[in-house]
Amino acid sequence: MSLPNDDNMSAHSQLSSHFFEDLLDSIIVDVASECHRVARLGLDRNFEEEEEELRLSAQARARVADSSNNGETNSKYVVDIFGQTHPAVANEIFECMNCGRSIVAGRFAPHLEKCMGKGRKARLKVTRSATAAQNRYTRGSPGSSYSSYSNSTGMNRLSNGASSGVAGEEYSNGSFEEL
Amino acid sequence: MSAKRSSINRPPTPDVDRDRENQEPTLQEIINIKMIESGEKERLKELLRERLIECGWRDEMKSLCRKKGRNNVTVDDLVHVITPKGRASVPDPVKAELLQRIRSFLASTAT
Repeated sequence: MSLPNDDNMSAHSQLSSHFFEDLLDSIIVDVASECHRVARLGLDRNFEEEEEELRLSAQARARVADSSNNGETNSKYVVDIFGQTHPAVANEIFECMNCGRSIVAGRFAPHLEKCMGKGRKARLKVTRSATAAQNRYTRGSPGSSYSSYSNSTGMNRLSNGASSGVAGEEYSNGSFEEL
Repeated sequence: MSAKRSSINRPPTPDVDRDRENQEPTLQEIINIKMIESGEKERLKELLRERLIECGWRDEMKSLCRKKGRNNVTVDDLVHVITPKGRASVPDPVKAELLQRIRSFLASTAT
């Protein structure tokens, strides 16, 4: 905490330090006062969550210390540090920002490939449409059936299994074209 | 000053018996008044507060307070809990910046 030229300006420095301490103490009182208020009014919604997290981390530590999870793998599922397991394919559902369809997260990457133009069919789709983002086309695909919906909000449902990558698509103006 | 627990940073109440209070105020007091009147003290306090929030100091103090629990805490309790760590854990750049500002102020109002 030594400052250069301390000897030359010791009086000034002392004074400065005094004022600094003064300001700091004042801020400390402010923080304490606010925490006091939160504590007394029960405003801290995270308080119980913190206790919960502390408990969970203690639990997880106990589980790690316990030798029941050899090499972290447990048949098909891996247990992570919080003791949670994750399925092989992520199963949250998102809306594709390109076509607006609901896609399972684990299938999102392959969907985007087709939807945004890596594949042959997707590229055809883009070049043929003037407003590619707006309009929808149904795609024929050998052996799979498709159905069409009319929908004013633009939210889609896949009627076929997503793994095949082909399904009926939504269109906003009600007309469709077969590729 | 007696070592009473009730407050650790309240300045001593001016004693009417002491002559000093009727004589010239100390340099420190003079500067303090100048600082307050010019608004600089408030500015400095806001600056310090902002820096301490940015660097996470405030959050550390709040989590210390939370650890103390919620039952029957008083402001003084919390002040006592925070003060040692609080004074020690101000980051050096923050302290340096504030000291620099204060020193400039002192220089500019040098009597």
